[in-house]
Amino acid sequence: MRHLLIIAATLLATSAYADTPLDFLARYEKDAGSPASAERGARFFNMKHGDEWSCASCHTERPTQVGRHAKTDKPIKPLAPSANAERFTDAAKVDKWFRRNCNDTLNRACSAQEKADVIAWLLTLN
Amino acid sequence: MNTKIETRRVWDLPTRMFHWSLVASFLIAFLTSDSEKLRDVHVLAGYSLAGLITFRLLWGFVGGKYSRFADFLPTPQKLIDYLKSLLVGKPRHYVGHNPAGAVAIFLLLGFGAVAALSGWATYEEVGGHFMEELHETAANGMMALVVIHIVGVIVSSSLHRENLVLAMITGWKSKQGQDSAQADGGRS
Repeated sequence: MRHLLIIAATLLATSAYADTPLDFLARYEKDAGSPASAERGARFFNMKHGDEWSCASCHTERPTQVGRHAKTDKPIKPLAPSANAERFTDAAKVDKWFRRNCNDTLNRACSAQEKADVIAWLLTLN
Repeated sequence: MNTKIETRRVWDLPTRMFHWSLVASFLIAFLTSDSEKLRDVHVLAGYSLAGLITFRLLWGFVGGKYSRFADFLPTPQKLIDYLKSLLVGKPRHYVGHNPAGAVAIFLLLGFGAVAALSGWATYEEVGGHFMEELHETAANGMMALVVIHIVGVIVSSSLHRENLVLAMITGWKSKQGQDSAQADGGRS
């Protein structure tokens, strides 16, 4: 039901750019052609993908808390929207950071399914 | 035409070392710009670039004759005259930087300074998202200038029949003709 609402909202939206975490979730689910799985997102977020870093290396396994840059030790604001309302509200930033960070952790771009899964998981965190 | 080719030292060693070190630091910074893993390398390249630009700004006042800003300060008129002379295939010859090259130098120094300062601000998290955007814009602008600069060097080299890249490595240029700027009696 929630997904139906999201899809309806997306179809009605006139702007090509999403501006809430749910909009991004819907957009990536649509691109992936299948629903997101928060459980899969949690696994994806915390595992390494053949390189030295996972998402959690910087964002921690509990992204409602402040992260720490694995190279520079600088603090990183929480990634979960419940802890940081700015997250997943700006398409340019979302595109930019998925591009950069997927490259650093996977050596490739993330698929729409992977992005949808991660956002779905982040949205379950409180 | 005189067939004997004389040469003269135009670019002093510090200017040449500055030029190629700037090339290296900018390239390294640009190539590492999208990576968090190479963040240290990127920041180091940025500091190097900032140091090099600071040096060049000082050297522009105390360096060798052709390295001084006063020697190649471009004016719109000089630039237009020079570009026109290129278009008609009779390029005005400058021993030092030609006006188009001079514009590239000042813009590159300016964009480089902005890129370095805004990069530092982004890294130290002062100035927020604006600094991040400014940093990317300045760096991309710099890359665009580099491309234009390289095209200009190739075009000028072929029109003047001199190898400007080699001159920036060895410092020597052939002593062909007079400096047009001086030849026409201080018009410019």
